[in-house]
Amino acid sequence: MGLNRRNFFKLVTAAGAAVAGSDGAAHAWQSRAPSDSVGCLVDLTRCIGCRKCEEACNRVNRLPPPDRAFEDLTLLDKKRRPDERTYTVVNRHVSGEIDARDQLVPTFVKLQCMHCQDPACASACIVGALTKKENGTVHYDVSKCIGCRYCMVACPFEIPAYEYHDPITPRVMKCTFCYERVHSENKLPGCAEICPVEAITFGRRSDLIDAARQRIKKNPGRYIDHVYGEKEVGGTSWIYLSGVSFERVGFNALPETPIPRLAESIQHALFSYLWSPIVLFGMLGGVMWASKDKRDRSGNGKKGGGQ
Amino acid sequence: MTRTGPGVLLIVTAALTGVLCCSPALAANPLPDEASPPAAMVWTAPDQEAAKKRAAEVVPFVLAVMDECRLCRQQRLRDMGLSVQDQSESYSLLDSPIIRETEDHYGPVRFMHAKHAGVTKDCALCHHYRPLDEAASETVRCSACHQEPFQKDHPERLGLKAAYHQQCMGCHREMDKGPIDCRGCHRKNVPDHKDHLQLVEGAGPFQVTAECLRCHKPAGEDMLKSAHWLWKGPSPYTLDHRKDVELGKATIATNNF
Repeated sequence: MGLNRRNFFKLVTAAGAAVAGSDGAAHAWQSRAPSDSVGCLVDLTRCIGCRKCEEACNRVNRLPPPDRAFEDLTLLDKKRRPDERTYTVVNRHVSGEIDARDQLVPTFVKLQCMHCQDPACASACIVGALTKKENGTVHYDVSKCIGCRYCMVACPFEIPAYEYHDPITPRVMKCTFCYERVHSENKLPGCAEICPVEAITFGRRSDLIDAARQRIKKNPGRYIDHVYGEKEVGGTSWIYLSGVSFERVGFNALPETPIPRLAESIQHALFSYLWSPIVLFGMLGGVMWASKDKRDRSGNGKKGGGQ
Repeated sequence: MTRTGPGVLLIVTAALTGVLCCSPALAANPLPDEASPPAAMVWTAPDQEAAKKRAAEVVPFVLAVMDECRLCRQQRLRDMGLSVQDQSESYSLLDSPIIRETEDHYGPVRFMHAKHAGVTKDCALCHHYRPLDEAASETVRCSACHQEPFQKDHPERLGLKAAYHQQCMGCHREMDKGPIDCRGCHRKNVPDHKDHLQLVEGAGPFQVTAECLRCHKPAGEDMLKSAHWLWKGPSPYTLDHRKDVELGKATIATNNF
């Protein structure tokens, strides 16, 4: 028989690889990062862990009141994550560094959506509820969301949270980058506005990267030579400066390639010009034709049951 | 006496206007008359009014500063004969319309300028740069350079609020002296509870306490661990009787919410 099971798979794989290879080269993956986006630079050496940003975030975004007051700094004893009631949290990390008075030096780390330049959540979203806006915000549109929560799986920073407690109108909850305030009202994001020590600097992303580089250059003893978010996952709108290695204060070491790149290139290669469905259905048609032929011959009774 | 003059005058004027305004209603309602003395008794610093006026001034923005190291600056001030004795103000109110615009959670700090200068004995510690403009005074106030945050033309210049906080808290921490928490320097502007209360008309004491505890839950928990709640003892009149009674807030006292 010309086309048995093994040969069929060989043929499909070979054809697939050939077309994917040629097509992948023809349609190289392009970043869709906005050129003139805004961002925030978080300087971990400046943060004093006062939790004012959490308070302002809660007020500006009209989030539900917290269980414990924002003045209560004992909450910092435990590591927390942003959840469906809080867009941002500050955690205290102790790297083991000791100051002149034998006290452990804490490093406070503010967590929120990083607003990636090429967001994996927006790529994973099958209905376009999550989009990258021109000003850099990764924006969530509740009216489009169908609640599949692919964004939560896709996010490399594990940021989107879901209102599991609400069975009727659950939403995906994550930092909005105060989109309305920044875009329409020309104000600062709530957290950046309230920060008492300017640990959060708001500005154009390109300016912030320059500023971060300047700070490192001027105070080489104060900072490590790494701007987290400049290159991680293809760049994020929120970038960080730190005095201790980022791995020691809870940041994941992430690749420099944008997360959507691999999945999107495979997907686009497979579906360009609809070649893969055509090949697949062609193959299936071939199989049908072959097996029909075989049944007809066996139906004539000239060759018995098997071969 | 000359310093206290304006303040006293203001209080007297305020009291007089109060009395004059209220006099027609005085016969009908004696309440304003009773309410005015505590208001007048609130202590204010002698030169509070002057300090307030100074704090509200917006000074011309310093565009460029002379770039010199702290030691050079210190030496230059010393060579010029400028010292901590030359300051004119004993204290200043760290209040500014620049900060007020976005922030009213805390009251302004009453900064004891003379005391800080006396302790540090170094003007250059805070007055760390000199304006490049020759006509400008040698030491300018913080708000001459530090104004709105994130200015496009001066990306690395801190905003006024951050400059104060970084300077004060950084130095306090370094010298292990002085407060580094919010309430150490600021009075909290307590929000108007009228907007938060969800009480029905004629609510009883239990409802009022429950309403307080709705937001101030930890305060209630703390109270349960304090002597005000835990006090307990035998009633002297029932001691050694068949029915001796343990008195206490948590047992059978009245006034127990």
